[in-house]
Amino acid sequence: MICPDAPVLLEIRDLQAAVDDQPILKGVNLTIRAGEIHAVMGRNGSGKSTLSKVLAGHPAYTVTGGSVHYRGNDLLDLAPEQRARIGLFLGFQYPVEIPGVSNLEFLRVATNARRSEGGLEELDTFAFEDLVRERLEVVKMDPAFLERSVNEGFSGGEKKRNEILQMALLEPLVAILDETDSGLDIDALRIVAGGVNQLASPENATLLITHYQRLLDLITPDYVHVMAAGRILRSGGRELALELERTGYDWVDQELERFAAEGQQTGRAPLEVG
Amino acid sequence: MSTATVGDLVSQPYKYGFVTDIETDKIAKGLDGDVVRLISAKKSEPPFLLNFRLKAFRQWQQMREPDWAQLGYPAIDYQDMVYYAAPRQQAKKASLDEVDPKLLETFEKLGIPLSEQKRLSNVAVDAVFDSVSIATTFREQLAEHGVIFCSISEAVKEYPDLIEKYLGTVVPGNDNFFAALNSAVFSDGSFVFIPKGVACPMELSTYFRINSGDTGQFERTLIVAEEGASVSYLEGCTAPMFDTNQLHAAVVELVALDDATIKYSTVQNWYAGDENGVGGIYNFVTKRGQCRGDRSKISWTQVETGSAITWKYPSCVLQGEDSVGEFYSVALTNNRQQADTGTKMVHVGPRTRSTIVSKGISAGHSSNSYRGLVQIGPKAQGARNYSQCDSMLIGDQAAANTYPYIRCQQPDAAIEHEASTCRISADQLFYLQSRGIGFEEAISMMVSGFCRDVFNQLPLEFAAEADKLLALKLEGSVG
Amino acid sequence: MVAVVPATPYAGAAGGASASATAAWLASLAGAPLPNRRQEDWRFTDPAALTGIDPQLIGLADPLAAQELPDGLECLSPAAASPWLGQALAATTSLEHWPVLLNAGASAGAAAAQPTSLLALRVSGAAGRLQLPLDAGDQPGLARFRLLLVVEAGAQLELLLQPSSGGVNAISLVSEVILEPGAELTLGSLAIGAAGSCLLQHTAVVQAPGSRFEHITVSAGWALARQEPRILQRQGGACTRLRALQVCCDRQLADTHSWVCFDGPDGELDQLHKAVADDQGRSVFNGAVRVPRAAQGTRAAQLSRSLLLSDRARIDTKPELEILADDVKCAHGATVSRLQAEELFYLQSRGIAADQAAQLLQRAFCAEVLRDLPAGAAALRPLHQLLGEG
Repeated sequence: MICPDAPVLLEIRDLQAAVDDQPILKGVNLTIRAGEIHAVMGRNGSGKSTLSKVLAGHPAYTVTGGSVHYRGNDLLDLAPEQRARIGLFLGFQYPVEIPGVSNLEFLRVATNARRSEGGLEELDTFAFEDLVRERLEVVKMDPAFLERSVNEGFSGGEKKRNEILQMALLEPLVAILDETDSGLDIDALRIVAGGVNQLASPENATLLITHYQRLLDLITPDYVHVMAAGRILRSGGRELALELERTGYDWVDQELERFAAEGQQTGRAPLEVG
Repeated sequence: MSTATVGDLVSQPYKYGFVTDIETDKIAKGLDGDVVRLISAKKSEPPFLLNFRLKAFRQWQQMREPDWAQLGYPAIDYQDMVYYAAPRQQAKKASLDEVDPKLLETFEKLGIPLSEQKRLSNVAVDAVFDSVSIATTFREQLAEHGVIFCSISEAVKEYPDLIEKYLGTVVPGNDNFFAALNSAVFSDGSFVFIPKGVACPMELSTYFRINSGDTGQFERTLIVAEEGASVSYLEGCTAPMFDTNQLHAAVVELVALDDATIKYSTVQNWYAGDENGVGGIYNFVTKRGQCRGDRSKISWTQVETGSAITWKYPSCVLQGEDSVGEFYSVALTNNRQQADTGTKMVHVGPRTRSTIVSKGISAGHSSNSYRGLVQIGPKAQGARNYSQCDSMLIGDQAAANTYPYIRCQQPDAAIEHEASTCRISADQLFYLQSRGIGFEEAISMMVSGFCRDVFNQLPLEFAAEADKLLALKLEGSVG
Repeated sequence: MVAVVPATPYAGAAGGASASATAAWLASLAGAPLPNRRQEDWRFTDPAALTGIDPQLIGLADPLAAQELPDGLECLSPAAASPWLGQALAATTSLEHWPVLLNAGASAGAAAAQPTSLLALRVSGAAGRLQLPLDAGDQPGLARFRLLLVVEAGAQLELLLQPSSGGVNAISLVSEVILEPGAELTLGSLAIGAAGSCLLQHTAVVQAPGSRFEHITVSAGWALARQEPRILQRQGGACTRLRALQVCCDRQLADTHSWVCFDGPDGELDQLHKAVADDQGRSVFNGAVRVPRAAQGTRAAQLSRSLLLSDRARIDTKPELEILADDVKCAHGATVSRLQAEELFYLQSRGIAADQAAQLLQRAFCAEVLRDLPAGAAALRPLHQLLGEG
């Protein structure tokens, strides 16, 4: 839902980041307002997953330039847990297994960390169980998964549902979903997409990172951005995704070459809308 | 891994490191036959006990300190140590009101209130300060059930027959170097006797406090459960922070007759030395339980977090038919700590069963070794053992060693051993952090998840405490 | 059931030489007294059976006689071998091991001065297969044999050693293996002894990154069989696969002391040790795995499975894992049991007689290792040799 007067939730300016001294993000610009659904598309290695990790504060990535503001405040200064507590959520492409840590306890501690940051009282085990059972409906997840260790032995689809369940509990303002569609069969994809749609509201925003159109058939984005070589190459409406679906990514290479040439002349990064 | 945040974290200081300023009756440093006689005389012991001590002392003189464990420490000068120290008060008081308030205050500071108003309602406590027991709560209430719970010194006077019958029968005076030393000079400790058919109505617990800087602590614990009796016993320990090392060489003997059950839990939090390995307790302990009776059961649960050095193998000798031995252990080492710990399960009788679950966590520059023996004797038809020992390494300067030794002489036996090594990965940490869970809490969640199988065995009152203790010990160790 | 070799008492059975004279002779050969059980490495292994042999050296027939060396294999002269000799022994800290001392230690000069057979082979390219029969027959005495294998970068070889004895004698076999980057060696050993015979087999291996070493040892029938594979992954990054089966019945003693050390990152070990102990047989397994700080990313798995078939037999197993690196995956497991009652019952319920069912299960237990022996071993009918007709 596009509403030009809605407050800006996330403001990314000329963001540059490296991993092991290897530059990956080379100047990303993106503005996300409340109520919007953005999709970032691109090939493997284009930097789209890096963008999500940097926003969530993964320690392996070093920010080498630019800024990110979350509701007007510097985001990059914050520890990963603090980012989560104030409402930034990353749905992982490959959620890790954490043997020994009970899923239910994990969800409760995380939910309470977010609640107390927002000035809400922490939920005791009983109140939390009520809440979690209600939210399980969003992803149609079997309550048996609560008794198991975090993601341990979960199938790919179960892990992704567990991610969306966390999103449903943490009620983020900005949810970044990194390749949430990968490894899902069509039924699981429908459930996950249904969950995301259900959680979207005029107050929050969603950033989908994906390779394929098929997720966007189920979650309609307001904006689509194409990433390549660490930059957003082109932005547009949902029709851009459909165009990509038709033409593939080949034009990206041509455009990259053109930009490289232009960049040499002007010395500045291409501009985006949004 | 977010090294910056972690590097900044300051290790929580050891919170039981204070010294109680109290007038102490100490004998001179050094050890010879006369010192052994003096200790025995101070405690007005019967001749059989003096003889037991002297015999062990003579054997100790012939023995060599063991060196097979993966431990490194400077030679201990056994002549530069005090073998008896007691707070100066007359005989043990009949009532708590007469005990030196400083002592009561000490135990209160340690979280072990002894006074009637404050004490835990379902746990009887024997409080041992340096070499002597200063108070035992709930003695009368327990006596109504026929349960004897008192210091071993009192037991020597009041129940000499029981002591003579059982003392040294599980761990003989010459069992090993440290046990022999203990047998010669042991000061105090607890005695528990559960008569036939009685289920002890409350948890029993002994709390050991080393206070003096140059005193060795040699306590001796003896627990006897007669036919059909059962008891759950918990041992806790702390010591002040000194920059010297104190020797703690205890002996624990458990005897379970037919159908008896003894559950022995330890939450060990001696002072472990500072981050450079200065100071701390040398914990060289011999613990052994004998399942003498058929269908008897002995279960050891230990949470080892303190001590500069731990050398300890709580064991079960499974003599009775169908008897059961269990060992659940969490050993955490950090900084320069060294732990060489594990268990021995000696299957003698038929259809004996044992379970071993050991979780070792090594952080900092510490070294953590599991050393175990499962022995199935020729008469142990149908014996079963299952062992699981897992190690978790935190940081790349720690060591985890595993030496699970199996000896089997009985074809109709089944022994299974499994072991694994893992670490806390940066990805797991980040995942938890990205859900708003702080760094330390994330570590603590994973560590307690790793230890859950063992914590589940602890009495309820202490499980949460063990969890907290572990988190505390690990603060600042990851990164 | 396990085929029972006729129970000839071995002590004093040989040509009348007293055990103490033989012990003195062996000690003088090695320059060190016989190991005793006070030494940690020999705690469960009594080398007494060795003193049953005659105090004289015997030679083994040239194992290369009557066969052609495949392409890619080259015999090195003692002089050409000399710079290589001792390297793997030193790297695996084996120089002071008694069986090594007995075989004239590391020095080629000493080896040449005494009647120790030395076979030094260099492998380049894909050399295919080779079998080395090392039969002591019924000659009385001690046969010593040294093997050196230098497997060059990218080269491959599948080698089957066949130490065997038909009398009261001892074979001492010291092998050194150097695997260069990307080299691949499958080293099988099918060792079948006879009553009173002894086997000391010491194998020191140094692996360069990217190399692969597969070692399959099978031993049965020896009064005393001692296997000591010692492997160093010099810079990690190599793959080591160990498979062992030892069968001891009668009053035999079979002992494996393995040692694997990773001196660099990303090494891999997959070890399976199996033992069958019947009658009054004694099986010993000591498996050391060392993962020093430099060995991040190591993956090591060790599994020991023992079958104890008689109430006078005995099994001692002792894994030793020393881990100083945190980013490693190390697992080990050990089981000791008799044949599974449920499995036996299942077979019986299908009409198979109890003893036949037991034999089937034993065969299955052994086959897991035997099937990994180099292909040439099949012709030797190892299962038959181990378990008798079935």
